[in-house]
Amino acid sequence: MTQSPGTLGPDPTNVLLRHVNVPGQHDIDTYVANGGYAAVHRALKEMNPDEVVAAVDGSQLRGRGGAGFPTGRKWKFINRNAPVKYLVVNADESEPGTFKDRTLLEGDPNLLVEGIILTSYALGVRNAFVYLRGEYYDCHRLLGGAIRQAYERGLLGERILGTDFSLDLVVHPGAGAYIAGEETALLESLEGRRAMPRLKPPYFPAVMGLYNKPTVLNNVETLCCVPWILNHGAEWWMQQGPPQLYSVSGHVQNPGVVEAPLGTTLRDLIDRAGGLRPGRTFKACYPGGSSSRPLVAEHIDVAMNHESLAKLGSMMGSGAVIIMDDTTDMVKVIARVAEFYMEESCGKCTPCREGTRWVVQVLERILHGHGRPSDLDLLTHLSKNMTGTCFCPLGESVPPSLNAGLAHFRNEFEAYIARSNAAVPMPVRIKESVPVAGS
Amino acid sequence: MTPETHTLAPAAVADIREIKARYPVAQSALVPALLRVQAEYGWVPPETYDGIAELLGLDTEVVAEVASFYLLVFTAPVGRQVIQLCTNVSCLLAGADAIQAHVEAKLGVKTRQTTADGRFTYIVAECLGACEEAPCMLVGEKRYKRLTREKVDEILDRTDS
Amino acid sequence: MSQTPANPTVTLTIDGHAITVPKGTTVYHAAKQLGIEVPIFCYHDRMPPLGACRMCFVKVEKMPRLQTSCTLEATEGMVVETESPDVVEARQGVLEFLLINHPLDCPICDKGGECPLQDNTFKYGPGASQYVEPKRHFMKAIPLSPVLTLDRERCIMCWRCTRFGEVIAGDHALKGHERGFATHIDIPPITMEGPSKFIGNTIEICPVGALTSSAYRFRSRPWDNLGTPSVCTHCGVGCAIRYDARGGEITRVRSRENAEVNDVWTCDVGFFGYDYVNSQDRLSRPLVRRGDTLVETSWDEALNLVATRLRDAGGDHAGAIGGERLTLEESYLLSRLYRSLGSANLDYRADSLAAPDTRDWGWGTEGTMADLDRAGAIVLIGCDLIEEYPVVWLRAKRALDRGALGFAIAPKRLEIDRYLRHNAVVRYGHEALVLLALSKLVAEARGAEAPVEAAALVDLDAAALASRAGVSIEALRAAARDLIAHPPASFHVGRLALDGPDPRAVLLAANTLRAVCGGGALSILRGRGSAAAAAVAGMVPDALPGLAPTDDAAALGRLRTAWGRDIAAKKGLDTPGMLGAAAAGELSFLLVAGADPAADYPDAEAWRLARAGVGFLVVQDVFLTETAKQADVVLPALTHAEKNGTVGSIEARVQRIGQARPGLDGARADATILQAIATRVGVPLMYGSVHEIFEEMTTVIPGLAEGLAFPLPRRTARVEREAIETILASAPASGGGATLVPVTSLFRLGEMTKRSPGLARLAGRPTATVHPLDAARWGIANGDEVEVAFDGRTARLFARVTDETREGQILVPRSLRLGGRAHDGTVRRLAPAGTWA
Ligand SMILES: Cc1cc2nc3c(=O)[nH]c(=O)nc-3n(C[C@H](O)[C@H](O)[C@H](O)COP(=O)(O)O)c2cc1C
Ligand code: SF4
Ligand code: FES
Repeated sequence: MTQSPGTLGPDPTNVLLRHVNVPGQHDIDTYVANGGYAAVHRALKEMNPDEVVAAVDGSQLRGRGGAGFPTGRKWKFINRNAPVKYLVVNADESEPGTFKDRTLLEGDPNLLVEGIILTSYALGVRNAFVYLRGEYYDCHRLLGGAIRQAYERGLLGERILGTDFSLDLVVHPGAGAYIAGEETALLESLEGRRAMPRLKPPYFPAVMGLYNKPTVLNNVETLCCVPWILNHGAEWWMQQGPPQLYSVSGHVQNPGVVEAPLGTTLRDLIDRAGGLRPGRTFKACYPGGSSSRPLVAEHIDVAMNHESLAKLGSMMGSGAVIIMDDTTDMVKVIARVAEFYMEESCGKCTPCREGTRWVVQVLERILHGHGRPSDLDLLTHLSKNMTGTCFCPLGESVPPSLNAGLAHFRNEFEAYIARSNAAVPMPVRIKESVPVAGS
Repeated sequence: MTPETHTLAPAAVADIREIKARYPVAQSALVPALLRVQAEYGWVPPETYDGIAELLGLDTEVVAEVASFYLLVFTAPVGRQVIQLCTNVSCLLAGADAIQAHVEAKLGVKTRQTTADGRFTYIVAECLGACEEAPCMLVGEKRYKRLTREKVDEILDRTDS
Repeated sequence: MSQTPANPTVTLTIDGHAITVPKGTTVYHAAKQLGIEVPIFCYHDRMPPLGACRMCFVKVEKMPRLQTSCTLEATEGMVVETESPDVVEARQGVLEFLLINHPLDCPICDKGGECPLQDNTFKYGPGASQYVEPKRHFMKAIPLSPVLTLDRERCIMCWRCTRFGEVIAGDHALKGHERGFATHIDIPPITMEGPSKFIGNTIEICPVGALTSSAYRFRSRPWDNLGTPSVCTHCGVGCAIRYDARGGEITRVRSRENAEVNDVWTCDVGFFGYDYVNSQDRLSRPLVRRGDTLVETSWDEALNLVATRLRDAGGDHAGAIGGERLTLEESYLLSRLYRSLGSANLDYRADSLAAPDTRDWGWGTEGTMADLDRAGAIVLIGCDLIEEYPVVWLRAKRALDRGALGFAIAPKRLEIDRYLRHNAVVRYGHEALVLLALSKLVAEARGAEAPVEAAALVDLDAAALASRAGVSIEALRAAARDLIAHPPASFHVGRLALDGPDPRAVLLAANTLRAVCGGGALSILRGRGSAAAAAVAGMVPDALPGLAPTDDAAALGRLRTAWGRDIAAKKGLDTPGMLGAAAAGELSFLLVAGADPAADYPDAEAWRLARAGVGFLVVQDVFLTETAKQADVVLPALTHAEKNGTVGSIEARVQRIGQARPGLDGARADATILQAIATRVGVPLMYGSVHEIFEEMTTVIPGLAEGLAFPLPRRTARVEREAIETILASAPASGGGATLVPVTSLFRLGEMTKRSPGLARLAGRPTATVHPLDAARWGIANGDEVEVAFDGRTARLFARVTDETREGQILVPRSLRLGGRAHDGTVRRLAPAGTWA
């Protein structure tokens, strides 16, 4: 069911989103009244850390940040005996089309805090950090409140619930950089540097993470699953689907976060989001954020899970489903997506720093009536030169859009080029003016 | 404590010390410290870099390179309110280009510029993570959803006037 | 294939050739060993790999993507191709990306002809650019500093320069600003104090013409330069350099590799301090005094006059000072000349009040600089390493980065403070007390492991000593623990202590500390150019050539064999002794060769009296220095860039300099001058070549050999009771005003540096560093022009207000020549900041 602001109160058809519309849910008392922190009490009193890891591992929970890596496996990489380890929560949610973490943080911030406590207990972590996207001002306040209350109730801090387990939790504000969502760039950023990805190896977070100590990095949604898994068991979790959040936006009547069993079809997701606008037909969609290769009409019945999407050369990503109907100008969309990566490139490696801008320059030229017939070959050439050559996945997020566009909507590019008119001046892009400083 | 430190307000210095204490390594406090200074001036004057560096035990050059990387750290003066208008895909599909044209015409500025009267700095933003509310924008810390031209007029006329 | 756990290796195949390399080797280096040069831009073998430029792609069997060979560790059985079609295509793609915004202005670029971008483009570049968009434009050729020019349009963002500042120098001088396609290299948008001391290296490692030398710009093209390998002699490190000359003009200096000394780096004084050689101010005619003026004369007349006066003075009444600016051969000749005339009044220390026994406390390192690579603790005692011997700091930083601990005991906070574990900012002249307190704490903590004589320390009150020195006893306790836990320690005593009120106490205290620590090298970091080695060559009053005791029969025998005459087994006067004798009218002839005591001797009054009393003063130099102006005869000499021979560093490492341009017409090499004088006084020094002199030196100085550091003798490490007495009596009681502390800066206006325009500008304005509390008391602000008054003298300086200094201590330039006493001073504001034009 879509999480829509109209409905107030628990929504029994949902798991992760069950309480996001409950009035006062961000207050710890309401949260506890709705079953909150039961898992922490249980785990800390009745389970040893290995049992918590085993429960999550058994649930086959996969990371919800984009890569879909099995969470239990990630946790087991950590050297249990390392004296200092960290948990870092990736709340940088910046992939275009993604807003499920924000929905969880705004609607049920205590759920994340509970997930963090459980995970830290499982891994023997003493200090945890939430790297929170800078633009999420409301989340900052709400999560800050939840943490304060957790400290007040002895759920954070020294000797939690009278056990030997202690945990401090700090919310670290991001400051406007999509690349900071990439795990090693996030760690650089959290260490107070420019968010530029680190070289792997040796900097695998599990081995050399935050401050070069073993570190587990998980997405917000991933950790919000943990209390549910511990409360109800891995088997129950699997029976639920497992529950997966899809951020559905674009040309649907009721955009919002949809909770559905992993593998729901694209058609079903569109329906759950209120369907297309009357009289419109489906044209294309990004199934997993703007980094994923767009799907087209023939894919409408694909199961929205990692395997099926990978088979189509696309990916599940962050579960951001951007629906486009027949009114969509694909050249504009692809140019806008490319521009996003150009803006957000960290500038470390050559193909991304230079390639994203070149692609945008060519697409802008085409859009503004200065396209050349050779441009489509040029775009193919650039796409190829950016594929498999970038330092991190950011730069390689441009080719999927471009390749799908050139394969499925070539006629739209050609139409622009055919209408080209050299007499129309190219608008100057203010964003491209580089500061001429330093004199 | 070089004299430059004194250009930071005592309250900001105290807050930055407190922020620093949250982290095992002081440099982690750099971006939060920059944001704290920004809360003071609306932006981060380069003259404060030395003071921040001193408080965190860093080289001033490090403060400068980090400040210049993050878009929400303003290294030049901004207007009294900062508008971040999302024009990314989901908002584009919901008509953000028309809203963008409207805002730019109304304020007479392009992205990263400040209106002549100093009221607004306007930024063409990337996805704000609120695509279900497309098209949307942030004015300061407040988010506005499902923008129309009329709504934009109302919001901007009401804000800081 | 031998494979032991201690030295595991892997065998891989690259382009069909098998190669076995140590585990941990990257594919790039493995290929290099096979002679296969994989193109790189961002990788530099002195820094960890970054993997940013994406130029060094190779194809590896079973790996889905192309791999960057600079980051990829070779593994057993790996099969690599470095020139497969997809690799070549990917490289072409990267080059195409790098070139789209590049201005392609090679014809007017300093780098043209020695540019990796040019070379790789020639090899892999796409034929024609498909780029029709507007190029990215930046302001051209921005002077980032007096010596550094940046052209951002040429920059390919390889990050080498920024990483040099992080990894190698630690000064973060250049940084990447903004991000994405707008990323560019910059310095912060505000003027900063303290320019980098190593920026020349970034020019060297920049793979394009983005960073260029402001001193070299447009002076020559690489192919027109004639290169001569040589050694830098500005400070005493002895960095390997290369002079480039064009048409007899030195156009630039570049660094060469010497793993034992400078690795591949050099400091900015070395890089940019060469224009003095080309200077119009050079002396080219001998000068002789006629009343109040110096007038030009012929070489013959000048030499005859000098010879007559030297002969008249006879053995004990002639003295000679110098050595740091001479080659070893020249120091040796000077020593031989004087000793042959029966004088041992020879000293290599022209600018020091203290001249302790050379065999105990001679200037230079104990062991080699490379020993720092194995040090557990690096203890800097009144030693501002980065200002005095900058390239040694690079080696020290490397040691600190790998886990050695840094300690400083000095009257100011050092610039490198951030990298040190302990930094005791002491009252001026109180280093010895701190060292003694530390010795006591270390001995106490080591208990039975401490040497037995350490019992002499038992009764000391460490807390009282610490409190007298103005440092916290808790900090000292922690330092003592760390010192014990991180052996071996390497102790470095520097100029802040050696030019201070009681250098002898500091040396004894350092020796005490290293004794209780169970040993550790004690280096005395003092002396520029060839100073330490000049002592080895014989320019020393209390030892024979080779630093043998003056009564060493074997050494005397060797000299007899080589020189064909007996040498008296006596000691002579050191510099303070000679100046004293001169003032008393007991020195009738003083030769100053390549030194400037009138400007550098720390006690101005002592020099003035000496000059007034000396019978005849002869100066051999390149410029009309302060001392030369006061001379009776001035003999124009050649620079190090104009002659052959060997020089020696602070570790007395013997290295060859090379003649990079013809000698200035009219000037002569010091060796030639000395030989001419020798002939005229009847002790001819005839050699067929400079090399012959060196050959002879190796017969009288066992252990002297080209390339090697001469083992400098040092007093045995032990705890001595009387040393403790000396130390306890050392620290001066503080007077009423603020104590003046003379400090040295790397960038200052010396005779050579002030004639290299970039360096002169880097030197900036002379400053008085004042603590904020003092500044508030005196009502002065940062940048104000101030007057420092002391002892009835005044000096005009510019205030720097920072807590680098202690309250009550004003740091002033060494050129004030305070005479080694702790002066009380006051500061008065003359003009507010900014009014100075
Ligand atoms: C360019 C880039 C941006 C990313 N942004 C985010 C993000 O905003 N939030 C997130 O949780 N993961 C993001 N990721 C994925 C993370 O690197 C990482 O895989 C994830 O946080 C791990 O958490 P999980 O295992 O719980 O999914 C991004 C990855 C890349 C390459
Ligand atoms: S692909 Fe390269 S430039 Fe782009 S974000 Fe990743 S590392 Fe930075
Ligand atoms: S040299 Fe290997 S990526 Fe730059």
